[in-house]
Amino acid sequence: MNRNLHITKDRRHFLKSAAAMIALPTLESFGAVEPVSSGPRNFVGIGCYLGWHQNAFFPKQTGKNYEIPTTLTPLADYKEDFTVFSGLDHRSTNGHDSWSNFLCGNSPKSYSADQMIADQIGQDTRFPSIQLTAGKGEGSKGSNKAISFTQQGIPLPMIQRPSVLYKQLFITKADRARTEYLIQSGRSSLDNVVDDAKRLQKSLPAPDRNKLDEYFDSVRAVEKRMARQLIALNDPVPEPDYKLPAYDPVTPNLQMEAETIMYDLMTLAIETESTRVISFLLDGLGQVFSINGRPLGSGYHGLSHHGNDPAMIRDLVAIETAHMHCFSGFIKQLKEKKTATGKSLLEDTIVLLGTGMGDASRHSNRNLPTLVAGGGFTHQGHTAVDPTKSDSPLLGDLCITMMQKLGMEVDHFSNATRNLNQLFS
Amino acid sequence: MISLRQNCTLYNHRLYRVQCPVAMVSSRRSSTSGHFRRCGWKPPLLFLIFLAAATANASTLIPEKPAALLNKYCLDCHDSDTKKGEVDLDIETIDWAAPHDLDMWESVLKVNVEGLMPPPKKPQPTEEEREIISKWLDKQLLNHTPVGGTLPRRLNQAEYQRTIRTLFSLPSFELPPGFPEDSEFHGFDNVGEGLLLSPPLLEAYSNMAREVADSIYPQPKPPAKSTKRSAGPEDLVISFSAATIKDGAMRLASRCETMMRSCTWPSRIEITASGIYRVTVETSTFKPKNDEAMILEVRARDIIASDRERAPKFPLLKEIPVTSETPDSVTFEAKLYEGQTLLFRWLNAEMDHEAKPLSTQMKAWFEKDPRFLAAWQHAVYPAGVKKGPRTTHLRGRNGWDIVKKHWNDPELDLSEATMDSLTTTKLLSVFNSTQGTFNLADALCHYYFENGPSLEIHSIAVEGPLEIIDGPKEIRCAALQKRLAESDKGDLSVEDYARQMLTHFLPQAFRRPVDKMTVEKYLEIAREHWSEGHTFEEGMHLLIRNILISPRFLYRALDEETMDDFDLATRLSYFLTQGPPDATLVDLAQRNRLNPSWVLRRESERLLPKKATHQFIKSFTGQWLDTDKLPEIMPDPKFNFTPYYIDLARKEIEYNFLEMIQKNRPMTDFIDPDFTHTSPLFAKNIYGFEVEGSDPKSGKAYRDFKRIELPRGSRTGGLLGQSAIMMATANGVDTQPVLRGVWMLENILGSPPPPPPKDVPALTPDTRGSTTPRDLLAAHTQDSSCASCHVKIDPIGFVLENYDPVGRWREKWPDSGIPIDPAGTLPDGTALKDVVDLKHWLVENIDEFSQCLAEKLIIYATGRVPNYTEKKEIEKIVIDNRVNGTNGFRDLIVALIDSKTFRTH
Repeated sequence: MNRNLHITKDRRHFLKSAAAMIALPTLESFGAVEPVSSGPRNFVGIGCYLGWHQNAFFPKQTGKNYEIPTTLTPLADYKEDFTVFSGLDHRSTNGHDSWSNFLCGNSPKSYSADQMIADQIGQDTRFPSIQLTAGKGEGSKGSNKAISFTQQGIPLPMIQRPSVLYKQLFITKADRARTEYLIQSGRSSLDNVVDDAKRLQKSLPAPDRNKLDEYFDSVRAVEKRMARQLIALNDPVPEPDYKLPAYDPVTPNLQMEAETIMYDLMTLAIETESTRVISFLLDGLGQVFSINGRPLGSGYHGLSHHGNDPAMIRDLVAIETAHMHCFSGFIKQLKEKKTATGKSLLEDTIVLLGTGMGDASRHSNRNLPTLVAGGGFTHQGHTAVDPTKSDSPLLGDLCITMMQKLGMEVDHFSNATRNLNQLFS
Repeated sequence: MISLRQNCTLYNHRLYRVQCPVAMVSSRRSSTSGHFRRCGWKPPLLFLIFLAAATANASTLIPEKPAALLNKYCLDCHDSDTKKGEVDLDIETIDWAAPHDLDMWESVLKVNVEGLMPPPKKPQPTEEEREIISKWLDKQLLNHTPVGGTLPRRLNQAEYQRTIRTLFSLPSFELPPGFPEDSEFHGFDNVGEGLLLSPPLLEAYSNMAREVADSIYPQPKPPAKSTKRSAGPEDLVISFSAATIKDGAMRLASRCETMMRSCTWPSRIEITASGIYRVTVETSTFKPKNDEAMILEVRARDIIASDRERAPKFPLLKEIPVTSETPDSVTFEAKLYEGQTLLFRWLNAEMDHEAKPLSTQMKAWFEKDPRFLAAWQHAVYPAGVKKGPRTTHLRGRNGWDIVKKHWNDPELDLSEATMDSLTTTKLLSVFNSTQGTFNLADALCHYYFENGPSLEIHSIAVEGPLEIIDGPKEIRCAALQKRLAESDKGDLSVEDYARQMLTHFLPQAFRRPVDKMTVEKYLEIAREHWSEGHTFEEGMHLLIRNILISPRFLYRALDEETMDDFDLATRLSYFLTQGPPDATLVDLAQRNRLNPSWVLRRESERLLPKKATHQFIKSFTGQWLDTDKLPEIMPDPKFNFTPYYIDLARKEIEYNFLEMIQKNRPMTDFIDPDFTHTSPLFAKNIYGFEVEGSDPKSGKAYRDFKRIELPRGSRTGGLLGQSAIMMATANGVDTQPVLRGVWMLENILGSPPPPPPKDVPALTPDTRGSTTPRDLLAAHTQDSSCASCHVKIDPIGFVLENYDPVGRWREKWPDSGIPIDPAGTLPDGTALKDVVDLKHWLVENIDEFSQCLAEKLIIYATGRVPNYTEKKEIEKIVIDNRVNGTNGFRDLIVALIDSKTFRTH
């Protein structure tokens, strides 16, 4: 009795807080109640292709009472909710190609942390993991740029269009009808194919005939699955009341707009428990941004090669601060929205923001600017580790820490074999 | 770095199977006992039982004489009680139809011929006695192992992808990441027995079928509503310094062809329905120099195209002459397709980013304006010409601001501002380089934005579609529909057209003639669908989906016992191209003309690869030599072996393999050739020699592959010691002589040792006195249960110890610094002092290698592991090729294709 009441109350709360939500009948699908004392259940990894300018990202002081550095100013209200790390990296080789090791550890293009997490905790949601990018503006063909890699080292394609992500997350009535049609027609015509296959099977020698049983066994299993899918189609799917723009902000100069929308959709994806694992690549090339109505002095990529020219650094930091502004909107939403048991989505989600590029001006992959928000960690302000010591912590150690926090039994990741729990207490 | 303790664990049989990157190599050993790698799905038990029953009633008594010998020499250990090594020879009758018995007696024959049994300490049979056993078993085995027995072969990933591409002319069709992996069986991913079909895989096939059907009969879209969309300067893209907003207009400056350097385009207008649109562009000139019209080029770019593309690649819609200094509109109609947006470039701008026109323009400018010259000199050489140019900070407006500061400086130093000064020459050469294109030109754009002449865009509007038209997508679909049915629908009834499509397409999809009944059966699918009120297109869509999940499409080698010309064409084609038969093969099969030996041989020669990048070479060598595992190995950073080098290592194998085929090189050239193909860069860094005539400074030429002549009998050249193979047989960190030895036995010599016995614990050597791997492994040869295999494994493993885990030559073991002692003795008593001796031995005994490679080719080609009789046929072909032919590799492949083994299901 009490319990029911509790849930009802929470759902109301959920409804109210979900500004971008929601048609009532669909609520049943969010009914999964997590244990009250559980740790975080979601992971979000955000990587910035051209890096974060270190001097504007790392606070000058360590500990909780640091003066907020320029790039992080949009996050000033959330100082308690994240930890900034300096001195972490993967001890990987330098160069542009090593960028992709942000989530991969020491070897670029290997099994990335988000995919390890998805393979373990992402399997019960509609999408084991989601990969996104903004600001790409490059044809995806041929360029192997990626943030997430499967266990086999296959780069996973990233969704660039918010409309595509939206369509996948929140299947529309028309899409649902189409899916239903495809399953129905597929199922009813299967008999004919099976008949023909049986006729074929009869003409075969015994061993071949039996080999073909694999086929029939599979057909039967797939038929059953189709039946289940048809039933599942009637399950309520979240129908958020979110208005996408009429166009997809895919041209590179609309990067910040794209980031803002992606963060909104990411929040919805987590809130509706459509997925537990998201990676997001903030890309960049020659686009010239206008910030506060002023076109910057050079393209994004050009600015990243600032050669310590103060004017260029100022413009570069302006872009990075704009990224962070979009990011703060994400943190804000996560903090405000609640899970069914009343904890904030932010507490339920580990958000890692960083890069594989320590200093884009020199293509150095040392000392990667890194930030961890939420996840129920006891946040420590600015934690500086000394990267010059051979036994000092690695970025991979942080990955292990996060995986363990997510309840995974993991004790090594790439070149790392420890956790950093001591830094969070 | 690596402690001895860690090293020891690597010799633990169980451990290296799970931990090392070469686990694949070792697990393959267990594949002989039916181990399915990467696949949790087991074949139905029924199937195994049937396999056994297929050739039932083949039991025979063991004749008296062999029975007596078995009793005398074998049953001490291999009786029903002891069953040493799970081998029980204590029986009266042999069931030749049981695979287990067949395998066991085949190995009895092998150990008898090779003298491996009885063990040395036991009484040995005489030569005559051994011959009695051999003759009896040889005869029985030949009698009881009929040629053939390939199980239906599901198309593997590569074959499936290529088949779809060919069948539907969809050259860019790709399987999505996460498509279920094929399981490997006996080292290859195209063996019938290993290619299982699981429910998730069938579901994946069904999804692919839908995707293909979608690209031929796409889902109709709701009718597009005509709208008017407009964009002001703030809605246009600024890429690099291609454009900027000044005084409320977007200004252009450069005529460069590369979009991201010169063009602008709307960021929020994307055409979603192909059609005719009304386009309005409002433009003006800014400070023109003369009366000549500025030409604004309007093209239609794909919104997702790379910004690095060149503008002329995209269709031209209109050239607008701009002459007015006040805003003026032009309206025109244009075809715009789904996914496109507009693209604007000032065609006759004064400046260009390209190095040559840029430097020419600047030279003329500097001649007229020494102050301008001096300003650039100071900007590019802030610390004087001797310190070299600095351009990284001269980007975009920041760059122009720096130049301008100098230009406006009343104190500007003009001492170098003459056309003949060194600084000027150097400066012009910077303009005439990529730095000029990438940096200086971008800065120069801002001169034009500020001072003109510049072309201004004030607004654009796109209204439509006024009329819907077919875009490239629709045109492609129509072509594919026509291709499938070999005709347009024209006046044909829906049903007749579907029948026409099925009659034409089913034989292609199923790779053989299709009878009327099958056509009608499929037609019924569409008919039923239409009767339920679905559209013509939906019926066709459904047909395609069904065809692509039929076993007739998904499997090959699905047929009655005898192999006809169509089966032969399919086997040949998938063997050499991983794809379905081409028109020539189909034509020959239709005329029943492929079967004659000379035709089959001619067609084989035709299909053999002519390029090192050919899929047969990549797929076969990748699996035979495990080079497809290289990217997973990831050598320790201490070897400084980048992914680029891994690529080169693999290429070496492929280029050399190609020459072996193309020039019909003798088999001995696999081992000790007088040539190799490599990159001078790789030769220098890995093998430690400079390729004659190569220049490290020549960049690309130094990296590109070259054919190099070698003296025979050297340690360079041939498979042994090639970087890729030394890598595949190590784990990226250290070498493991046992793994290398086992690998060589399996893949070069074709006599893999059995897997380590289950009841023998892994060696836990007493390491106190040992300092080298050899000391550690000495125990192998002391323990007799280990020795029978390790006497074969270890000498080969150790003779290769001079190669480190990436194939670099070394004389000392790492860490300990103790000199490597590669010497050893082969089981036949041949002493090896180094790898050159092993090469020599292999050349002398080349048939062993040829047999090994030939068997691998047959597994790959036929999708089954050759049985006793088939191995005998292969042996005959190998010997015949050497004795009566040239021992050439191409001849061997062609002869194998013309064998009974290849020509039997």
